[in-house]
Amino acid sequence: MSSGAVQAAAGRPARGRRSLIGPRSVLRLPSARVAIAVLIGIGILTVFGATLAPQNPLTINANALFQGPSSHHLLGTDYLGRDVLSRLMAGTRLSVLTALEAVGIGLVLGTVPGVATVFLGRWFDFTANRVTDALMTLPSIFFAVAVTAALGNGLVQAMVPIGILLAPFFFRVTRAATLEHARAQYVEAAELLGASKLHVVRVHVLRKVLPTIAVTTASMTAAALLSVSFLTFLGIGVQPPAPTWGGVLSSDLDYLAQAPWAPFIPGALIAVTVGALNALADAFRDRSGAGTLLLTAPAAVTPETLERVDDDRRSQPAA
Amino acid sequence: MSLRPRAARRGVALAAGLALALLAAACGSSTGTSTASASGATAGASGTLNWEWELPTSWDPVTSTAGWDMHVLGLVYASLTTLDPSGSVGPGLATSWKYAPDGKSVTFTLRPGLKFTDGTPLNATAVQQNIERGQKQSNSTVAAELSVISKVVVNSPTSFTLDLAQVDYQVPDLLAGKDGMMVSPAAFKNPGSLPTHPVGAGPFKLTSYVPDSHADLVRNPGYWDASQIHVANFTVQSITQPEQILASLESGQVNVAYIAGNQVASAKAAGFKIAVIPSEVVNELDIQTTSAPFNKPQVVQAINYAINRQAILQVQAAGYGAVSYQPFPKGFVGYSSTLASLYPYNPAKARQLLAQAGYPHGLQLTLTTVSTSDSLAEQIQGQLKQAGITAVIKDIPSDTETQYLYLDKTIPLAIDGTAGRMSPVEMLDVLYSQQGLMNVDGKAGTVPSPVNQALAKALTVPLDSPSYPAALRDAVTTAVQDEPIHIWLYTNPRIFAYSPKVTGIPFDLVQQRWEGVRVAG
Amino acid sequence: MTVLNMPRAAAGATPPRRRRGRIIATRLGGGLAVLLPIVLISTFITYSLGALSNSDPAATILGQDAATPAAVARLNHSMGLDRPLIVQYWSWLTQALHGNLGRSYFTQIPVAQSIAQRLPVDLSIALLAVLLAIVIGGTAGTVAAVRRGGWFDRGVTVVCSAASTLPAFVVGIILVVLFAMTVHWLPANGYVGPSTSVPQWLAHIILPSLALSLAVSADIARQLRTSLVDVLERNYIVGARVRGLPYRRILFRHALRNAAGPALTILGNDFPLMLAGAVAAEAVFSLPGLGQLLLESAQTRDIPVVQGLLLVISCFVIVVNLIVNVTLNGLYRTSDGIGT
Repeated sequence: MSSGAVQAAAGRPARGRRSLIGPRSVLRLPSARVAIAVLIGIGILTVFGATLAPQNPLTINANALFQGPSSHHLLGTDYLGRDVLSRLMAGTRLSVLTALEAVGIGLVLGTVPGVATVFLGRWFDFTANRVTDALMTLPSIFFAVAVTAALGNGLVQAMVPIGILLAPFFFRVTRAATLEHARAQYVEAAELLGASKLHVVRVHVLRKVLPTIAVTTASMTAAALLSVSFLTFLGIGVQPPAPTWGGVLSSDLDYLAQAPWAPFIPGALIAVTVGALNALADAFRDRSGAGTLLLTAPAAVTPETLERVDDDRRSQPAA
Repeated sequence: MSLRPRAARRGVALAAGLALALLAAACGSSTGTSTASASGATAGASGTLNWEWELPTSWDPVTSTAGWDMHVLGLVYASLTTLDPSGSVGPGLATSWKYAPDGKSVTFTLRPGLKFTDGTPLNATAVQQNIERGQKQSNSTVAAELSVISKVVVNSPTSFTLDLAQVDYQVPDLLAGKDGMMVSPAAFKNPGSLPTHPVGAGPFKLTSYVPDSHADLVRNPGYWDASQIHVANFTVQSITQPEQILASLESGQVNVAYIAGNQVASAKAAGFKIAVIPSEVVNELDIQTTSAPFNKPQVVQAINYAINRQAILQVQAAGYGAVSYQPFPKGFVGYSSTLASLYPYNPAKARQLLAQAGYPHGLQLTLTTVSTSDSLAEQIQGQLKQAGITAVIKDIPSDTETQYLYLDKTIPLAIDGTAGRMSPVEMLDVLYSQQGLMNVDGKAGTVPSPVNQALAKALTVPLDSPSYPAALRDAVTTAVQDEPIHIWLYTNPRIFAYSPKVTGIPFDLVQQRWEGVRVAG
Repeated sequence: MTVLNMPRAAAGATPPRRRRGRIIATRLGGGLAVLLPIVLISTFITYSLGALSNSDPAATILGQDAATPAAVARLNHSMGLDRPLIVQYWSWLTQALHGNLGRSYFTQIPVAQSIAQRLPVDLSIALLAVLLAIVIGGTAGTVAAVRRGGWFDRGVTVVCSAASTLPAFVVGIILVVLFAMTVHWLPANGYVGPSTSVPQWLAHIILPSLALSLAVSADIARQLRTSLVDVLERNYIVGARVRGLPYRRILFRHALRNAAGPALTILGNDFPLMLAGAVAAEAVFSLPGLGQLLLESAQTRDIPVVQGLLLVISCFVIVVNLIVNVTLNGLYRTSDGIGT
């Protein structure tokens, strides 16, 4: 998964600024500006890609195989004479939408239990943590391919398990952030005054937790996009002639001798998009002080590490 | 103070442990013994030939489900007869044969003193046991082709007579391929091991086999024609991706590679020699005329007209080969000029035919293929679209293809090709008769009687008779026109890109042989 | 949980060795209490994939013609497929502990055999990749931290950001283009076992391992640099320098050990990433490994193979994380940050 999401800070909880992220503060970072520009471009392609493409991505031209970049074909042609630029533009939609679908699943499946677990007692916490750890032992690509064995070879079927496997990251992050904020004095005060747990969550906790979720969402979207590219590279969910980023890369690999420059193009596209998302995640993190969190792997979740995350709770004086 | 160095050492020990584990784990490698590169080198034979080629579906000729396997099986097994490069039958394990005057039996004379690589004698009794196994084993794929032999009579250790169920002058041709490959009867006791552990009397002996990867072989000095085998070691490597094939040639991993026409230019540019060997291979689509919508003849014709074979030849094979509407290539005795332009490219006519068949708004079908980036499938898909046919491409793993397509017969439309057969009538039989392996209608369909009659007739004409070419051509024309279960596309010569160190590759029409090949250096 | 919160330096209460033994035992015990549910849940998820699929093994095994309803029912019963899911799962798991992972629906070859045949390929690549990642990432991160602010540091940061966004399959393709197609130094595909020839084996696995290790090296380098910079500014390091200890000794004995922890955690976290990369490497370099086996059996819906593979892989992940954890404990326990 994306490296951006994993930051070990030796158990030091963030107690710095908690200013909510606003578009203005993030935009002050030049890297964030570039990243947002790139992402807006990708977004436009996602919505309008096929119509903006200079040529029909499906037109086969037997006389124009493996051409290099030219005025007629800005990025050259592929093994069937089709325009590469148009194919990549048309393929953006499928790749991006399925990545977003996976992130959406992970977001919902992860954040809801992540917030709830702080309020629902020890047993729920224990079970949720163990399920999370168990999910983290399953490598995502293997699991996704295995699910296609069960449910059939479709990109939608493959992205659902990716989404499920993103949930643990959301869970951990949300849980830690919620723990941090749920122990604040004013929250305890509110509870003493008779506010229901739901009210506490809605009014006090959620707003503070959102920056953290934003950071994780950006990183996880990058990870999901890489997963989509990889799965389509392996041939899963590829429905010819519909182009996908990974599918174009995979066929470029087959014809390397005829066109050695070819794989760099979709490779660069994937790298740039993923890089932009990671840069955005970093920018969110810097601006919001949304905390550096310990996200360890399952078997390393010994009582010690649990203690480290629980440190907040114990360091507060008992009420 | 004393704790720290220990801890540091522990860290180093862990890294060392990891390294050892790496070595230890990797040492437990694949099954089979390692090739001893020295053991194959004997009198005058030297060097290793690394052949890039598809590995067989089974190393047992009786259970192999693909005609293509004959090339690799021919490395470990010797057949009773052998085809020369032009396709005429000559001696193999048998030195001569003679038909009875009525044509219903043929007597073969075997070479004396032949042995399998496990020491079992290769005599007439062994031949009898082999033929009977091919006919009777439950999962045999050659039973239909051997059914013409009603009885094997052993006359002496070096002579046997085949009694035939009907007059058939192509039996010696038949026995030049898989049907005549002799397996050691000692191995019959354990038929389950044969698909991975073959025992034969061929030019080479298998020493190690890793499925989906490679096979290692050494020269068999006991082969009847061993004096013609000058290569000491042989490996077969299966590389699925086209660009990998060129890369492996360049790195020296293989020295003879099977390439497609559109790779010739790159291979030449990289300094390799090219051999374009005329072959019987024809690329085609298998179509099940017993499943809707293909049960309507107009639909099948529409597909034929919708395909632009010339464009396919250009893109897929860079022009190496020829557009074809029949199973035999031009210049071959069975080639029929009546069929020379059976379905000229005409998408408008295709649309018309579809409308006549009841599909005025087009049709949807599934095209099955192997290999995820099969550009042929995509090209056909694009062409069909012009005629209003929406094709969905379905990929299946290559090692399941023959199972689904030929044995289970569950695929309505698939990209396929013929590998060729030793006997032309055998080829037509496999393609068009009801029990033919490549007839995807199988028992569900009924072969029109004219086709059966024409095939039977061609069998009764001796090969050297002047009326044989006409009889064969007639069989071809009847079959192609009356039984449209194969949509022929283009002929595919066998193109090798090979290192200049390799010399003497014979230009065999049907099965690639290695007599006379030398590897220098 | 509180009982496991062992005080760090309860000075002199019990002899150090016996106390450490007790700590290890209780930690192991606690660790197992946490580990066991994890293993059970993850293996159950793996097994229930089979139930999710509606593939019909009986038809595949018996063949189209022989698959009459009676024959199918008989076969299902003999394979135990008509029992409740939990029972099937338990029997599968206990069999797996004995090394029996069932047979492929399609080829009838024992799953354990297919896996064992292909395992050395991935193991070679993964372990070499780990070594490379530690060496490359460790060196880069250390040098960047020691010469922080310099051109090497800035260069490393840029390269790391780029490298960690490049998926392993893209890196693999680039390596093939550079080393196999242009300069012909190394073979572009295939695998030769070390028992055949160690130099050839190394030649075949070096490119795939390199492709795998780059993303992880980048993560390690970045993390190590951050931690090391942090540690190098701590009081005890400064104190040691003031006292005149040689810089290299400080670096290796004290600073690196303390900074290595988070970087090692990254290794543990990224291990599943490396497994995914191994699948990529197999696709790009035509290696006969577990990833290819998974792809093929997924395409043919050969459920026992898929289940067996997933089980083996998740066990590897758990084992690797345990190793990382043990190493972390080793590092942390003897380096409390207080100089002795």
